Amino acid sequence: MDKELEHSFVELLEKHQNIVHKVCRLYTNNKDAHNDLFQEITIQLWKAYPKFRGDAKFSTWMYRVGLNTAITLYRKSKRSIKTQEFETVSFKIKSEDYDDTEEQQLKLLYKAVHQLNDIEKALVFLYLEDKNYSEISETLGISEVNARVKMNRVKKKIKTILNP
Amino acid sequence: MDELELLKKDWQSNTAQDEPRLSSKDIYPMLLKKSSSIVKTLFYISVAELLFWVIINSIPYFSSEQYRLDLEAMYGNDSILLGVTIFSYAVVLAFVYLLYKSYKSISVTDNAKRLMESILKTRKIIKYYVIYNLVMAFLSMAFGLYYMIYENPEISQQFAKFSNKQMFFAMALMLLATAAFVLVFWIFYRIIYGILLRRLNRNYKELKKLEV
Repeated sequence: MDKELEHSFVELLEKHQNIVHKVCRLYTNNKDAHNDLFQEITIQLWKAYPKFRGDAKFSTWMYRVGLNTAITLYRKSKRSIKTQEFETVSFKIKSEDYDDTEEQQLKLLYKAVHQLNDIEKALVFLYLEDKNYSEISETLGISEVNARVKMNRVKKKIKTILNP
Repeated sequence: MDELELLKKDWQSNTAQDEPRLSSKDIYPMLLKKSSSIVKTLFYISVAELLFWVIINSIPYFSSEQYRLDLEAMYGNDSILLGVTIFSYAVVLAFVYLLYKSYKSISVTDNAKRLMESILKTRKIIKYYVIYNLVMAFLSMAFGLYYMIYENPEISQQFAKFSNKQMFFAMALMLLATAAFVLVFWIFYRIIYGILLRRLNRNYKELKKLEV
């Protein structure tokens, strides 16, 4: 592949790398696995890049490839299977009105999200990224109504995990 | 506040700071690394399977003249054997074509459900190829045994001395051995694909469940 294509891809990925990091953060629970998944998503993005047409936003396209890799294509490496290092996934609160109870609640929330299954995580991820239901349904290949129904169930499930 | 709203606020406010940002210098080498996705593994397994069965079926045929003569004797004449050979290679070619088409249709930019479906379709083609080969293996073993018992003078003489009971046990043993051979292969495949596609199957079921 020519250098120009490579250059434009790397530039775009560097700019939007947050999306990939966020997917990795949701689907892995330690640093090695995070890097592993990041690597695989990058390869998949790069392989698909020649077919990427400017009519879709690069970031929207990344959500799809990133999630597809995490949910379907990625083979978990051995080192990431049984390690439960939730604490290493640090979620620092940057707000000025630092609130201890809120931090505690957030920690529990992130922990609850980590307990969801792959599809539920994908829904939560797109929701947290402020995607509307039509985008969620297009990314996952389910109807909009079903996406809404499932999202409500996921919210309930999180509540149950938090307050068993 | 809704729990997820609280999470969303935090997610959007601090997502940028949490991960060490990679520079383009870090990203370039990543492009050269090899993918370890399940599609790639599936591809290697299918190529290995195609080659395995082609080699298994061809080696004796090309390496031993005696085997060829035996086969010809078994089939009665040359043209039936030729027909069977052409048929088996045509089947292999058809599977190669179907697999190629199927791999081409796997696209990471499809929606999640469609991507899963195209991978499962590819796996199904490999499965049919395996079933075809196991059925053929079973048939040719059964056919070979029949030929050996009834057409081969030395062995048929031997068998003629058997009592009905002995004959029954000999046949049952041979049938069992053949069935065991097929079964071992089948379990082996189930394990390979079961492990490889366990997660995909689980997630696909989860998506399908939403449609009910």
